Amino acid sequence: MKKKTKVFAAVIGGTLAGLLMLGQAGAADLKIGIMVPTTGSEATAGKDMENAIKQAVDEINKGGGVLGMKVVTMTGDDGCDPQQATAAASKLVSADVVGVVGGYCSGATLPTLKIYGDAGTPFVIAAANSTKLIDANPGTSFQINSTGFDQVNSAVGLFADKGVKKLAIVHQGDGYSEDLAKLTRDKWTAMGHEVVAYAVVNKGEQDQSSLVTKIKSKAPDAVFWTAYYSDGALLIKQLRQAGFRKLIAVGDGSNSPKLLEIAGRAAEGVYCFSNPTADYLPAAKDFTAAYKARYKQAPDAYGPLAYDGMKLMADAITRAGSTDKAAIVKALKETKDFIGITGAISFTDKNTLAKSNFVVLIAKGGKWVLNK
Amino acid sequence: MSNLDIILQQLANGLILGSFYALVALGYTMVYGIIKLLNFAHGDLYMVGGFVGFLILSAISGLLGESWGAILCSMVFSMLAVGLLGVIIQRIAYVPMLQAPRLSILITALAVSMILSNGVMAVTDGEYLAFSTDLSYDGLDLGNVFISYTQLALVIAACLLMVILYLFVHKTLYGKAMRAIAIDQDACRLMGINVNRIIALTFFIGSSLAGAAGVMAGVYYGSLHFSMGFVIGLKAFTAAVIGGIGSIPGAMLGGQVLGLLEAFGTQIPFVGSEWKDVFSFGLLILLLIFKPTGLLGKTEIERM
Repeated sequence: MKKKTKVFAAVIGGTLAGLLMLGQAGAADLKIGIMVPTTGSEATAGKDMENAIKQAVDEINKGGGVLGMKVVTMTGDDGCDPQQATAAASKLVSADVVGVVGGYCSGATLPTLKIYGDAGTPFVIAAANSTKLIDANPGTSFQINSTGFDQVNSAVGLFADKGVKKLAIVHQGDGYSEDLAKLTRDKWTAMGHEVVAYAVVNKGEQDQSSLVTKIKSKAPDAVFWTAYYSDGALLIKQLRQAGFRKLIAVGDGSNSPKLLEIAGRAAEGVYCFSNPTADYLPAAKDFTAAYKARYKQAPDAYGPLAYDGMKLMADAITRAGSTDKAAIVKALKETKDFIGITGAISFTDKNTLAKSNFVVLIAKGGKWVLNK
Repeated sequence: MSNLDIILQQLANGLILGSFYALVALGYTMVYGIIKLLNFAHGDLYMVGGFVGFLILSAISGLLGESWGAILCSMVFSMLAVGLLGVIIQRIAYVPMLQAPRLSILITALAVSMILSNGVMAVTDGEYLAFSTDLSYDGLDLGNVFISYTQLALVIAACLLMVILYLFVHKTLYGKAMRAIAIDQDACRLMGINVNRIIALTFFIGSSLAGAAGVMAGVYYGSLHFSMGFVIGLKAFTAAVIGGIGSIPGAMLGGQVLGLLEAFGTQIPFVGSEWKDVFSFGLLILLLIFKPTGLLGKTEIERM
């Protein structure tokens, strides 16, 4: 009888202790916020980033977590919309996440910087790269994608190389594409060339024939589309259908295999400025293989950057040695040549990438390949 | 390009775009004419039509190739499918609401619109689908004015559908019944007309026209997305109002007028092309101030 009681007590004690430990492990999880658009027009890119971040988290947890803690994520859907993004950011901050990784649409990312800044939450901006983000940065955000300035330099460089004199620029009126369009126009005119058309396409409008006619009537040597792939594909197709045979280039928001799929053969020979995607990065081989095995599809353009963003965040927390937000921000600032799959990450004093990572791609045979 | 060329080309652009608007506007106007409902789900039927056409075309392209025959075939099937969907929506969502206050049925229509677009979003994962048909870029080259054969075929198809519809409404017994119901439902019932069946028929025809426009847009623009019905829904509604909502020739005219306004709105000197909607909707407001019934609408006497 006595023996039985002892065993019983031991079982109870053991269970209690186990429960207690479980509770402790739960409380000591490291919570990281993901802010991407998982619904709306840019949901494809957003989900791809979320997938890549979750893959990085799994790898981190398999390797023992960060500071001995298991990393868990919480996703805030910004819907590529400034208002929804504000709500998503507030939700993440009030859930007391240690840091946030994500940011795809610059227009939606912009108003969240202050929210994270006020809370002191470190924010690694993986994809959004409008130059407006630089000025709005309260010091707690870090851009690991090359900014618009780098892209503008790549763009005007290519146009000058190809002997372009008269340029037409088309954007979509949102933070990212307008910014890129404006900077390109300023730079191009400063170089003594001419911008013959500077136009806007309304989002979600399929027919662009009247704009195409207007552009054609100005006889530009090149058309530069600075916005996203979904409407970009329509513009390219309608330009080519209307008989425009000269150079077309698209910004990094259009760097998607979908653009080539939708535009079909009209996209042949179109140039694209892009941050390095998995296909052109030797270091991303393992990432791509693991991603394909896990999600049964190839990673999209910003998967590698999102993956790097999460790994960088984990690295910074490890270096900070605590989950104190100020210490993590300091550690992020001190990042020196963090080797990610997209290249080495170091920051300027404005928390932007010290070294540009842009490449020029060309569409050949329905695929983006490096332009040589 | 000379100024004359630009004007001619924009004229062509406007008429092509206007054909799409007109086809979708017809559904709005027919449904409004018969039960005074602004069917806000109509733009989404256009979207569903595009997706159904895509599914059918992918299924039969192995048999027929991606030829005009296959496209025509998928368009016919899509019209049938979307027409049926329209009737089902009417039976489930609108018929029980017919005696309720006007506002309730309007909100039901908004709900149906959201169910359709979010349903397709869930199924397609919010992705853009490429409607690849690889049609030729050849066309009529009239000096500096260029119209591709694809555009020409689409406009002809749209016109044919509209002519058939016009003949149906004005030369058949069913059409006569529709026009009669638009004037006085109760009197029609007394005369032995099966009112519910005619209303269902109206939904079928209006929805199938939207379905046809959806397939045509998919073929022409080459991409499908769950939100593609939203903008065209708004524009087609505008077109229906410009023409005089409830009037079938009005919807056709309104579609073309809106298409032309947008095309020429792009060419306004000194301001950018982003002003074209301001221009066309500004004119809409002016029109509504000076002629509230629209171009061809009559005041509350006859609606079909």
